[in-house]
Amino acid sequence: MILPKFEYKRAHSIAEAIEVYTRYDGQARYLSGGTDLIPLLKLRLSTPAAVIDLKPIPALKTLSRGGRWLAIGANVALFDLKKDPLVKEYFPALAESLEATSCETLQMRGTLGGNILQDTRCLLYNKSLEWRTARGFCWKMGGPACNVVPNAPACFANYCSDNAPALITLSAQVTFAGPGGERTVKLEKIFSGDGRKPMALAPGEILTQIRIPLEKTKGTYEKLRVRDSMDYPLVGVAVSMKGYSARICVGGVGLLPRVYSLKDINESRIKETVDRAVAEAKPVVNATLSPSYRKKMVGVLVSRAIKKVQRGGAR
Amino acid sequence: MRTMKVTFQINNEQVTLQVRPYETLLETLRERLSLTGTKEACGLGSCGACTVVVNGIPLRSCLVLAPEVEGAVITTVEGLRQEGKLHPLQEAFMEKGAVQCGFCTSGMIMTAKALLERNNKPTKKEIIRTVSSNICRCTGYKKIVEAVEEAGKKATQAQK
Repeated sequence: MILPKFEYKRAHSIAEAIEVYTRYDGQARYLSGGTDLIPLLKLRLSTPAAVIDLKPIPALKTLSRGGRWLAIGANVALFDLKKDPLVKEYFPALAESLEATSCETLQMRGTLGGNILQDTRCLLYNKSLEWRTARGFCWKMGGPACNVVPNAPACFANYCSDNAPALITLSAQVTFAGPGGERTVKLEKIFSGDGRKPMALAPGEILTQIRIPLEKTKGTYEKLRVRDSMDYPLVGVAVSMKGYSARICVGGVGLLPRVYSLKDINESRIKETVDRAVAEAKPVVNATLSPSYRKKMVGVLVSRAIKKVQRGGAR
Repeated sequence: MRTMKVTFQINNEQVTLQVRPYETLLETLRERLSLTGTKEACGLGSCGACTVVVNGIPLRSCLVLAPEVEGAVITTVEGLRQEGKLHPLQEAFMEKGAVQCGFCTSGMIMTAKALLERNNKPTKKEIIRTVSSNICRCTGYKKIVEAVEEAGKKATQAQK
């Protein structure tokens, strides 16, 4: 498959990357592992004038334990993070979500930052230009309406990160550097809810660091997919527990992950959360399994995950 | 659009090439260096047929831009044969009949090579986990897993 024409620029510092981005007047894309971006370019879903390679930036590759936080550089590979003993011990939900992400070879190339900032996906969106032209452009491509839900002036593409739901249950924060300076926000705040631009980022912003409060948690990640060897989540559920309270995050259905808190866990509270998660999950016919099945599985996985953590990991 | 100069080591040979900035490593290998052992199937990073080993890590060359490998050390399936002798993995794949149509084979062998390099005694479970990165539509994987196990054993024996 042939790539569209673009310039390739290598950045050696965050400041240099932002400077190059500004020079291209916003017509540039940042590249790290490329496992999300390169297919988008090949399908002509993104046609930048330049691609700015962030891999040579040393500051994005560090993994450090500083005071109350574990700080993870955005370009740390998923495979390396998965092997980190601290992650396994303190953040089992994240460790399991890393293990569940795609396959080993892609985990070695893919980065945590890239996994969080991946574009939303839809069976009728991630297609070649020829296919999409024949079908007619949808809302997300700049067309008039959704191709999955007739006449809907909104997008129902799925946010398919495995790691973001896990990080959200761990109260992770993300730091961005951009032309307007630096900012740190809670991870669940970066989603815009607009399918055309799923992330609420300012132009030119780079995700530099993900930091997680350094407190031991119990947790797990449950994922529904057709092939266990790779595949994006059709439903992904992360649970992290501290003492008697839990945070639960459901991903893979719709534009943004939805987060639920559970305090003083008992059977009736678990049921309440399961029912809410099922009611709020609104899958449509844009993935490889039927919406009714995926909706049902949201409940199954949420309850399974909570019970698994309560039992100390065993299913 | 201007081409770029890129220098890297491929199968123990240093090369300097002029590449297009929007060229994949796979295109460079196949079209500029005629190393056609590396195959293109899906072109989107799903199948693993184009896997080559870059700095010890198995990478899908269809997802890597040619200018990204500046200074890298790359091994393709053509670089496995040493002094006229096939690599233990290649031998084992033939012996065990792990090749049917053969299209996934070079990617499969390169993925397995990277595994044996970082872990010379992989368990059967680890082998299955690793080769499941690559898609094979013929063999059902059983013989591939057996071949990697066999090559792993041979490599450990050779070290003793």
